Amino acid sequence: MIWFATLAILAGVLVSLSRQINGRLALSTSAMESSFWNHIVGLVFITGVALLVGGLFAGEPEASPWWAYLGGPIGVIFIAAGSWLIARIGAAQTALLIIAGQMISGVLLDIIMGAPGNLWARTLGVALIMAGMWVAHGGKKSS
Amino acid sequence: MSQPSQPNQLIYFAAAFGAGGLLSLMVLFNGTLAAYGSLFFASWVPHLTGTVAALIFLVFLRPKRAQQARPPWWVYLGGVSGAVTVMLTSATLNSALALSGTIALGLAGQMVFSLFADMRGLFGLPQRTPVRRDYVALMFIIAGSLILIFFGSGS
Repeated sequence: MIWFATLAILAGVLVSLSRQINGRLALSTSAMESSFWNHIVGLVFITGVALLVGGLFAGEPEASPWWAYLGGPIGVIFIAAGSWLIARIGAAQTALLIIAGQMISGVLLDIIMGAPGNLWARTLGVALIMAGMWVAHGGKKSS
Repeated sequence: MSQPSQPNQLIYFAAAFGAGGLLSLMVLFNGTLAAYGSLFFASWVPHLTGTVAALIFLVFLRPKRAQQARPPWWVYLGGVSGAVTVMLTSATLNSALALSGTIALGLAGQMVFSLFADMRGLFGLPQRTPVRRDYVALMFIIAGSLILIFFGSGS
């Protein structure tokens, strides 16, 4: 359990590390070029590991709905946005605001897709996140 | 982050918040791929289509390059870090941590390392010292996120 918890924390660290490295590349090139390198290097790496381990085309991937294939182009914009933002507002604020956007849109997607959920927890969670964004934007001039 | 809020600050806020929305869609789309194919497939496909999409964007938008000087070699390795992340989370998703524990611990790791990186100005990015307002915002957003992760879905 401690082992898996360490891996989960490490995964979060790597998300931030990846954004910093891509952000540094964007400083020398452009946000879109850093997103291109992120994807092609990641593709080569995953292809290599998948060839070693095997099972890339296991299951029935051809049965998945067509829209499930749209994650790639969306990811390109996502990585480019992160690379552009990190040099401007810092790693912590970039991460925090992306998390805020992910959480609130996640609640909206759940509601749209009819996923079961606790109304009170959703309301409280979204309210706290919005309050945090208001504070981050300078709603409280305590600094 | 210690600088006073400027008009552009709102653009950055909107961009980061919108990027979070894109991330939700990615999780949904790639998660659907993983439900039909392997976890490798669910990461391999978006990297492949993403590479093509990025090339198309580069050809049509022709963004200006910031510097002529060559960056250090390691700046091209961000994709490896991202690909390893997918492998780590697919391992922890199937452990007792499940989805909620994986996301919650990932948020913790991401925020602690981001704050550390800002304070030290790691990887040639601007150094920033977080102020009290940043920590207050952090507590609100993480508290709200944890409530959504652990109590928001399911019964």
